[in-house]
Amino acid sequence: MNQTQQQGGSNQAGAKTSLLVLKKLDKRFGATHALKAVDLDFEAGEVHAIVGENGAGKSTLIKMLTGVHVRSSGEVYWEGKPVALATPHEAINHGINAVHQEVVLCPHLTVAANLFLGDEKVRLGMLQHREMVREAQKILDDIGFKLPASALLSSLTIGQQQLVATARASTRGTRFLIFDEPTGYLTRQEAAQLFALIGRLKAQGVTIVYISHRLEEVFQLADRVSILRDGALVSTQRVAETNEEKLIAGMIARTIEQIHYKETIPFGEEILRTEKLTGKGFEDVSVRVRAGEVIGLYGLIGAGRSEFVLSLFGRSPKTGGQIFWKGKPVDIRKEKDAISMGIALVPESRRDQGLCLNLGVGLNLNLPIYKRLVKGLVINPFAERASADKQIREVQIKTASREAPASSLSGGNQQKIVVGKWLNHGADLYIFDEPTVGVDVGTKVEIYKLFARLLKKGAGIILISSYLPEVYDLSDTLHVFRRGRLVASYDSANVNEKALHETILTQALGV
Amino acid sequence: MSVETKKGDEAIAAAAQLAATKRQARMGTLLGLTLVGLLALMWILLAFSTTSFWTYNNISNLLRQGSMTAILAMGETFVIITAGIDLSVGAVVGFTSVIVAWLLTHGFPIWAAILITLAFGFGIGAFHAFGITKMGLPPFIMTLATLTALRGVGLLITNGATISITNTTFTGFSRGDFLGVPNLFWMVVVVAVPAYIFLHQSRFGRYLFAIGSNPEAARLSGVNTTRMIYIAYILSAVCASFVGILLASRIGIGNATQAEGWELQAIASSVIGGTSLFGAVGSVHGPLLGSFILTTINNGANLLNVNAFWQRIITGVLIIVIVYFDGLRARKR
Repeated sequence: MNQTQQQGGSNQAGAKTSLLVLKKLDKRFGATHALKAVDLDFEAGEVHAIVGENGAGKSTLIKMLTGVHVRSSGEVYWEGKPVALATPHEAINHGINAVHQEVVLCPHLTVAANLFLGDEKVRLGMLQHREMVREAQKILDDIGFKLPASALLSSLTIGQQQLVATARASTRGTRFLIFDEPTGYLTRQEAAQLFALIGRLKAQGVTIVYISHRLEEVFQLADRVSILRDGALVSTQRVAETNEEKLIAGMIARTIEQIHYKETIPFGEEILRTEKLTGKGFEDVSVRVRAGEVIGLYGLIGAGRSEFVLSLFGRSPKTGGQIFWKGKPVDIRKEKDAISMGIALVPESRRDQGLCLNLGVGLNLNLPIYKRLVKGLVINPFAERASADKQIREVQIKTASREAPASSLSGGNQQKIVVGKWLNHGADLYIFDEPTVGVDVGTKVEIYKLFARLLKKGAGIILISSYLPEVYDLSDTLHVFRRGRLVASYDSANVNEKALHETILTQALGV
Repeated sequence: MSVETKKGDEAIAAAAQLAATKRQARMGTLLGLTLVGLLALMWILLAFSTTSFWTYNNISNLLRQGSMTAILAMGETFVIITAGIDLSVGAVVGFTSVIVAWLLTHGFPIWAAILITLAFGFGIGAFHAFGITKMGLPPFIMTLATLTALRGVGLLITNGATISITNTTFTGFSRGDFLGVPNLFWMVVVVAVPAYIFLHQSRFGRYLFAIGSNPEAARLSGVNTTRMIYIAYILSAVCASFVGILLASRIGIGNATQAEGWELQAIASSVIGGTSLFGAVGSVHGPLLGSFILTTINNGANLLNVNAFWQRIITGVLIIVIVYFDGLRARKR
């Protein structure tokens, strides 16, 4: 009851200066009950984290706060007055803004133009470019973002673009700012800049809603944390009074012995070896994968890891070095070469590289194996259905039917489709590029258990991740990438853990 | 207990989604039926309001005219499903009518003239795909370029004149019928059956949809996207050259300025038939219905003595209305 935070002008119990209060907020989409009578209050100047598995209702909640969806029932109070929040425009007028996971800005305009988009400086009908750049630079410097205001947005990394979006959202009279998985694409320095900004906004009395799968960030930043599960509010707690295990237990209603599930499997024959492999974005990379082995590639986004595996997969052929497959030198020129040899790739971006979003789950699952489903000229419809259903069962994809478009599934289930299509095909070497980004804890564990299953069958795995605990716990051999080069390699079983984490981080950052 | 509740909720959500999918499937059939219904309705209205509509001659004429658009629209649909566009099909019709007429007047036997003309179509389609996949040109630009260039080449060949075809076997074909149905309409069947099998029942059809939805995902799943683009544009151009042969047979001449604007008729038919210009949505039966709806409008308007200018306006309005309703349907997903 007795809350510790000091808020100006509030003394009655339960009548703190709540900026936004949700009462029995309810949302139904047809027969689907997406949010169930959620009661939440957001105080002025607090950082309020919201956690939950994918599909728990976090996105629905954001969309209702920003006026994208209209509630089915319940009440919303803004500074004590009931509001409708029926349109995005209304939300923005109140000062409610959101920074989304995907950047929604204009890539062909400069950073400054994006910051002033819709609110340009005009004199006598002429755009004041120079003035806008000058002012934008001042804004960026003020909030501590190291970004050039005159650069084209498209010349920045995704992480930097995300910071531009953040700068834009935080400088327009915003009083209530929602972050949806903001650190997914950020480097460590960028994340530090973002956290500093959050601290400053908080001091200015801005309410921050922080949504993240990374619980350590919740503990670092938030004052309070609310857990959503299956559309209902489980609890709202002070961060100081809870811990990671309690949060996870609340999110999934079951205890996970060990999230980073790992079994040790004796290594078999060598599957793949590269010697001084060079291509677009990486140089002189030599690695080896044996049957039953996971090799982890750690580094920052843009360190050349994805380019390296795309080259192994035939997407962009190598320019130098040699690839050996089961001891023999091979030439991989096309995706088809890699696939027929027995390489499978779960690419970095589900949306852009992994899925045909508006097509059915079944078609996505069968895409690599249609050759096997053909009888004469035509597809055997029974085999097509059976193969899709088998995979839906096997990786436990939650979908209404095999015909439902992939876009109708939650992020975790979409990832399962991408994984499932390669299980369907079968391979000796599985490459997973950031397989758990934006995936909830439950699905994460399922993916890790799947690793063990593949390894037992004698496959090898290359795991790319920017999340050190994940690569660290799951890999047998860990390689650190920096600017396209392999800078260090570790046999993860042999070294003192804590000390190594620091070393690896410094190596990846190059500081 | 909470686990049970969760399961219960999941079951409800799954049931809801299932119901939604079934609804979508029903709405899909509904659009198909709407088009059939619209066509039937127009035919019934015309049968009652004019004396000449429901006559053997007029129906035959309607089928002959609609056949050519239908074949063009089917070919065009393959391309649109890959999220591309083929603006050249009208020009290809005009150009190949010149080719087949030239070949016939220079003593080639009919079968050879037809095969060579289709080979020209094949080459044009391959050239489109080459420009798109190897030179990186947008489909719109590539086919816009051949739209104007091919008519020029056709005019150069004849020096601007018209080639008259004297081979009566060739010209007789389009006037003849089989089992009381015009030969030209049989040609629609000849194209539609393999087209249906190709698009809906072969793996290549699945690949076309996958490319239209997300070319990178298709590629990373082992689909040879370059080859599929070649196939789509070649099919479109071969269909167009086939229509060129049929047109030459029907009007008895080869002239590169024929079939002006037919590419728009083909695209409109395809879109009315439910094809999405964003790719990954389309069928073979949709464009078929679409083309006969468009042809019926023109035919009916002629019989009702509607001003030809008005026909164009009606067609335009109809395209907006039908695609709007289709968009409503898609947005409900």
